[in-house]
Amino acid sequence: MSFKPNFLLLDYAIRSLMRRFGKSFFIFFILSLLIFVLASVLMIADAIKLELNTTLKALPQITLQRFSAGKQSDVPLDRVEALLDIEGISAVTPRVWGYYYFKPAGVNFSIVGIDAYEEQYSATLSTLTQRFDVKLLEKENGMIIGEGVKKILEENYYTEFFNFITSEGKWQRVRIAGVFHSDLALESNDLIILPKKLVYGIFGMDESKATDIVIKVTNVKEIPTIVQKINERYPDMRAITQDDIRVSYQNIFDYKSGFFLALFSICAFAFFIIIYDKTSGLSSEEKKEIGILKAVGWSSDDILKEKFYESFTLSVSAFLVGIVVSLFYVYALQAPLLRNLFMGYSALKPSFVLPFSVDASMLVLLFLLSVPIYIAATLIPAWRASILDADEVMR
Amino acid sequence: MSLTPEIIALLTLDAIFLFFGVIAFFLSMRLAFYWNNNASTPLQYSLTKQSYLVATIIKYIFILKLPLFLFFIYTCDKLSNIIAGAMCASGVINSVDFGLYLTLFKLLNLYFFGFWLLLHYTDVSSEKLPFTKLKFTLFALFAVPLFAEIGLEIAFFAGLNISKIVSCCGTLFSASSSSYISLLFAVNELLWVGLFYGFFVMCILAFYLKNGVLTLFANAMFLIFSIIALIVFFSPYVYELPTHRCPFCLLQKDYYYVGYLLYTLLFSGTFYGMGGAVLSLLSKGNMRFSRLSLGLNAFYLFLISTYPIVYFIRNGVWL
Amino acid sequence: MITLHEVCKQFMQGDEEAHALKNISLEIKKGECVVLKGSSGSGKSTLLSLIAGLMQPSSGKISVDGKEISKLPEAFSAQLRRKNIGFIFQKFHLISHLSALENVIVPLIPENLPVHVLEEKAKAIMAQYGIVHKAKMRVNRLSGGEQQRVAIARALVNNPSIILADEPTANLDETLTRELIVSLEVLKQSGVTLLIATHDPLFFELPFVDRVIEIKNGEIIL
Repeated sequence: MSFKPNFLLLDYAIRSLMRRFGKSFFIFFILSLLIFVLASVLMIADAIKLELNTTLKALPQITLQRFSAGKQSDVPLDRVEALLDIEGISAVTPRVWGYYYFKPAGVNFSIVGIDAYEEQYSATLSTLTQRFDVKLLEKENGMIIGEGVKKILEENYYTEFFNFITSEGKWQRVRIAGVFHSDLALESNDLIILPKKLVYGIFGMDESKATDIVIKVTNVKEIPTIVQKINERYPDMRAITQDDIRVSYQNIFDYKSGFFLALFSICAFAFFIIIYDKTSGLSSEEKKEIGILKAVGWSSDDILKEKFYESFTLSVSAFLVGIVVSLFYVYALQAPLLRNLFMGYSALKPSFVLPFSVDASMLVLLFLLSVPIYIAATLIPAWRASILDADEVMR
Repeated sequence: MSLTPEIIALLTLDAIFLFFGVIAFFLSMRLAFYWNNNASTPLQYSLTKQSYLVATIIKYIFILKLPLFLFFIYTCDKLSNIIAGAMCASGVINSVDFGLYLTLFKLLNLYFFGFWLLLHYTDVSSEKLPFTKLKFTLFALFAVPLFAEIGLEIAFFAGLNISKIVSCCGTLFSASSSSYISLLFAVNELLWVGLFYGFFVMCILAFYLKNGVLTLFANAMFLIFSIIALIVFFSPYVYELPTHRCPFCLLQKDYYYVGYLLYTLLFSGTFYGMGGAVLSLLSKGNMRFSRLSLGLNAFYLFLISTYPIVYFIRNGVWL
Repeated sequence: MITLHEVCKQFMQGDEEAHALKNISLEIKKGECVVLKGSSGSGKSTLLSLIAGLMQPSSGKISVDGKEISKLPEAFSAQLRRKNIGFIFQKFHLISHLSALENVIVPLIPENLPVHVLEEKAKAIMAQYGIVHKAKMRVNRLSGGEQQRVAIARALVNNPSIILADEPTANLDETLTRELIVSLEVLKQSGVTLLIATHDPLFFELPFVDRVIEIKNGEIIL
């Protein structure tokens, strides 16, 4: 059982494909297209996952929310002290934030409260407190906004200040004190940073409470234990860890990828029915050729081998072309249109560069989803061709 | 059920295998029943043509099954990232009751199909086609574990629960495990090591005696005790950690993917040994592949033995 | 050396069985040149196919060069055909999209030998028949005579001991027919066994033909 490839047979197979150029090219083109779409979707998903994982690291290690009557409610600030007592917790920061619906533009702004004297829980906010004078913000009722927010406000004629409508129906005028550009574009584009006092006012929140609590621990491996302790102390609080978010994102991605793939398989299946049909029908010219080959000494097995070389060559070259074009499309052109499949479409979503994340396992996966399936579709037609009788040629 | 792209790939190919497997199964039954080498009837003529189809289908399935087995392990490894508690493939595999059986089944089917192909090539290289009826009867039998494997695999992926916490290999492959694996640790590990080397000696003996039955027995035992010895004794030396005894972690990047080489050597060595023995018994002819099998087994033995030896030389103690 | 013993071949035509050959017994010695005479439909093409191992007889035994081929599995009969038999067809039956050289090599491709070995063999035989200068040309651009020579070269590239020709002159003009007959004579002299199925009366009187066997309705007429 030696598997030395027969290059002359391979050459014959390639020439056969070239001879039926129209048909071969049609199949090659559609196959490449399918692989291209598949590869692009997988690459985009992986790239976004990678980007998100990087973003994730900037998120709080543990976020605590309070639930009463099954709904999220505000957390009393006195719990902060009690939480600091728990071993392993290094910092507890109450957060005040929410979404403000800006009706004229039909968008939500993320509002985050900031306190000049507090230790900031995220790198972004730390940079901000360094760059802008937060104390001044508090004195003057000013805010710092993200670029997306700035654009929307300008479109609505707010250039120097903005009027929030508080929960009581009153106006709260806030000056636009600055604009920030963050490296984490996904996170900050729709963000408005305000002094905490103002946030309480705008949302009508109780000043003895906070929206949620963010916790930093000394040893990441102890997070599950600490979460357990918090749950014992405050049964009405739910902890969300970085890991939880990571898993849920991965699930969403896998779900979306899976869903897409399921749809894709249906299209692919339809395509393969076409393939089967096209390769099944042998023209009289082709039948004659097989008859001649058998008459001069080829066995059915040889003809089957030749057909296999044809299928293999066609599918592998389509695979390579599909992958190369996909790489170009995703990383050079940054995948217009297809990225929205995963990112959703929103006026405030910014562009970011898809990081390169292709590894050997993805290529193996793509290979398994293309080449063996094509060969399966041509297996029975190839067999039918190989069992043709040669004696018809004799007549 | 979580539908990652990898799972979809595996299930799609499973569907294809099922489709072709059923065709091959029905054709095999027909072939086993009606095949008559000496007849020149139109029936025999069409049977001959159909036999090519069955052989082609089996070749196709087998050639894909080999990398797919590795891909299955890789998929389980990747799933361990989202299944709570699992840190490598073994956690994922054991999160479903029959997961380990599925893996062993897959391996068994590889042996079956590989053996069928050996039989097939021996058959067609002889003008008398001596094994045709036998091989199609065999395939009708082998098709059953194939279908069972596909069914189990579908059930496996459907039954994966990402929120159920599973044990990792550290607890699974230890004396405190609740499964029968803990029985392995109840015995002194040197016993397993002794049996491992002992059965290799029997392989050598069988080689010199050119005895088919002995070769078959020796290789089968060698396979079983190699895996046991690997789990119980040798793997801690690869990981350099006395409590780490997982047979799957060897396949990871951290250990230079040495698992792939080790398993390839072991499985192909014992496959050729057992296959060659059965062939010689069937054809009442010479032993085939015996040198190849012995060579592969010896290479495996040598490679796996170097780990504890190198560890001892470097550290002066055994684990 | 070709031996047929009580060979029968039936085909299914719809629901009816058609008997192409009935109880043919025949012996052709090595180096003999035999002409099979018969009109179309008499069964001579079927007989040639059976001897070439392209199909199996419904009953009876066929031996070629001492080997019984009637029950040989297809892979083996194909190999035998490749190594021992050369076929010359009525319509040449060359593969039109390939070059002359490639056509000549085609029978040997399944042998999986190195390319240069096969090319040398092919060129040698093509040189013998004077068409090696057109080796790279596509056969559908060659003249009738050149195609004929390519067809003969292809039949001979594997040094066969038996040449089977099925109505070789049916599509040829006088010149080409004469050229073909000359080639056949040369082959006969080199010791190749020739079996020519034809209803062209030109062959019946040729000096190098040892025997003429007549077939009618699937039976040999003496």
